[in-house]
Amino acid sequence: MGNHSNWPEWIYVAVVIALMTWVGAEAWEAERLVEHVPADAETIIVTGQQWFWTFEHEDGTKEIGELHVEVGKAYKFEVMSKDVNHSFNIHDYVVLMDAIPGRVNTVWFAPDAVGEHDIQCREYCGLIHYNMRGTLYVTEPTT
Amino acid sequence: MAVLVGLPAVDYAFAAGDEPGEYLDRRVLIWNLFYKMMTVAFITGSVVSGTIIWQVWRFRESHPKAKPTSYEGTDW
Amino acid sequence: MTLELQKPRPIWQIMFSTHHTDVGLLYLISSLTFLFLGGSLALGIRAELFLPGSQIIADAMTFNRIFTVHGTTLIFLFIIPFASAVGNYYVPIMVRYKDMAYPKLNAIAFWMIPPAGVLIWLGFADFTWYATPPYSIISAPGPAADMWIFGLKILGISSVLGALNFVVTILKCKHPDMSIGQIPLMAWSFLSSSLIIMVAIPTFAAALLMLLTDRLGVSGFFNPAMGGDPISYAHLFWFTFHPEVYVLVIPAIGMMYEIIPRFSRKPIYSYSSGVFAFVMLSIVGFSSWAHHMYATGMSFTEKTVFMVGTLAAVPASAMHVFNFVATMWNARIRFSTPMMWAVGGIALFFSAGAGGVVNSAMPLDFTTHDTYWVVGHFHLFVMGTIAFGSIGYLYYMFPYVTGRMYNETLGKIHFILSFIGTVLVFFTQHVLGLYGMPRRIYDYPPIPEWIAMNQIASIGAMIIGISMAVFLANMIHSAGKGKFADTDDPFGLGGKYYYPFEAKNPSH
Repeated sequence: MGNHSNWPEWIYVAVVIALMTWVGAEAWEAERLVEHVPADAETIIVTGQQWFWTFEHEDGTKEIGELHVEVGKAYKFEVMSKDVNHSFNIHDYVVLMDAIPGRVNTVWFAPDAVGEHDIQCREYCGLIHYNMRGTLYVTEPTT
Repeated sequence: MAVLVGLPAVDYAFAAGDEPGEYLDRRVLIWNLFYKMMTVAFITGSVVSGTIIWQVWRFRESHPKAKPTSYEGTDW
Repeated sequence: MTLELQKPRPIWQIMFSTHHTDVGLLYLISSLTFLFLGGSLALGIRAELFLPGSQIIADAMTFNRIFTVHGTTLIFLFIIPFASAVGNYYVPIMVRYKDMAYPKLNAIAFWMIPPAGVLIWLGFADFTWYATPPYSIISAPGPAADMWIFGLKILGISSVLGALNFVVTILKCKHPDMSIGQIPLMAWSFLSSSLIIMVAIPTFAAALLMLLTDRLGVSGFFNPAMGGDPISYAHLFWFTFHPEVYVLVIPAIGMMYEIIPRFSRKPIYSYSSGVFAFVMLSIVGFSSWAHHMYATGMSFTEKTVFMVGTLAAVPASAMHVFNFVATMWNARIRFSTPMMWAVGGIALFFSAGAGGVVNSAMPLDFTTHDTYWVVGHFHLFVMGTIAFGSIGYLYYMFPYVTGRMYNETLGKIHFILSFIGTVLVFFTQHVLGLYGMPRRIYDYPPIPEWIAMNQIASIGAMIIGISMAVFLANMIHSAGKGKFADTDDPFGLGGKYYYPFEAKNPSH
């Protein structure tokens, strides 16, 4: 102990710090891009309650457990909850936002292909948390 | 290094996503970041675990070239 | 006093003793009991998830209760008391004092654990170990939830008292000839983790009280219907429990610092960098708590701050790994069971840490948060690093606790099976999370990839289960009938062990 050079350890620590700086910078850059909500995004109000999702479009139409969106548009979700915490998740589109009572959280996405995707709840919310699921239908644009 | 990576990112961030109809794809962005990090993690991981596995093989006491450390026999 | 099982004593002499090795033995036995109880719940969870649909657990409520008690038990009733057991045995020896600083307080801190364990197990609450409001306030059925709250309250007091005792023992009772820079690294690990406990736990203690009064309906701190904010609970909780992660891992690293140089037949490569890394971790550990909350609608700035805080803890952890690798360099390593566990623990420590770095990178939270990735990640820490270090240390201290040797072959079988099982379960769970499977679900849709990976994980869990049965058999049999150990040098390594034979204090 003691009679050895400390240079290997200093170099090693410098490498670790450099790696962490790189991770931080990359993550920071990506997060900035992801958080930038397009100005023309349509708002959909997402309400979570035990144990289903309700969606309200800008034109006032409401859907329960199903969400229909169109290819090529951007959508901004305003996520809220009526009772306990939930987490709104469309895994295929990497959309995730907690639904917290008393708060409105936003997240956006722009579907780019016709298809059906699972919607699920990712925050523990009680008895039927495991089956608090819905379906996202991405359809051809109507206009 | 933070500056080198960060500055272009700032420019890019302010430029992106402002034209209607042209949206950036969050899936691509996020999964790209993920795969980049996994690449680095697996390279680092193979170096670290490779080193440990090699050490375990080389410095085991039953290795033909194993020699006593200078502390053996003392009350260190 | 030290060779407990060679000199049989009436059980009440141990139970009412305040001597540090007796209290250590009590901690040891109770923590191992809870290890097996909590572990069997995990096997139940894995069996249930082997296939979609209901297997062995009748309903979702039972399942939710099982994973809640599984987590609570293994964190609070196994890992923390196990560290206290090791600390009780070794810390006074390492600082060359006759006992803990406050022996009676020490016994009291231990005796708070059984009633707390009884409260948690009889209650069987269902609101996850995180007890998140508003669910825990408006939805979780009592009295289970209230019993959990009281149980945790008692455990919190117990760990603060234990921590206080360690800090005073190390700082005030160490031998006057020793400077603080001469105490072994394992004692340093207990000093750091105890300081973290004393700073972190009071916050959660306050949050628990507020949770209780919220449940009683007299306050609304976290209840949005009464103007409260559930997010403030999350902050209070994680302010305690992110540092708590370091409370769990630091003693395990400390145990590896005892095992690895011993079996490498070399002193630790750099004592000072080990000390620096412990101190650094216990400070930086407080700057990262809200990385658990990226998805709750935090601002970009907040997220950035906590990401940087999280990444800042990495160099210190990496220094420990460097220290271990450098110690093993040019060594002559004897791979007895404790060494295998310690080296396996370091190897998995890297994977767990790398997963943590990925979690903390802000946008990746969208893919990993609250999925099985997170489950795999923290289990790699608690099982792969902390339990590996702890079990390795248990084998290491076995000859001195019992005066007998464990069965080396069974110990190695235990390690190999556990290592294979751990890799199978928790690496698979990482991938499962990337496929989007949420945590804490009783049932899942029949997606082929999910089924396949859940089955791999369940098989891995069964392998761990088998290895633990081997472990239990080995411990029980060897404690009574094992070969007598050479108490001066049970592993045939030479050098000076920190074994408490030198600290006999029969008059206590």
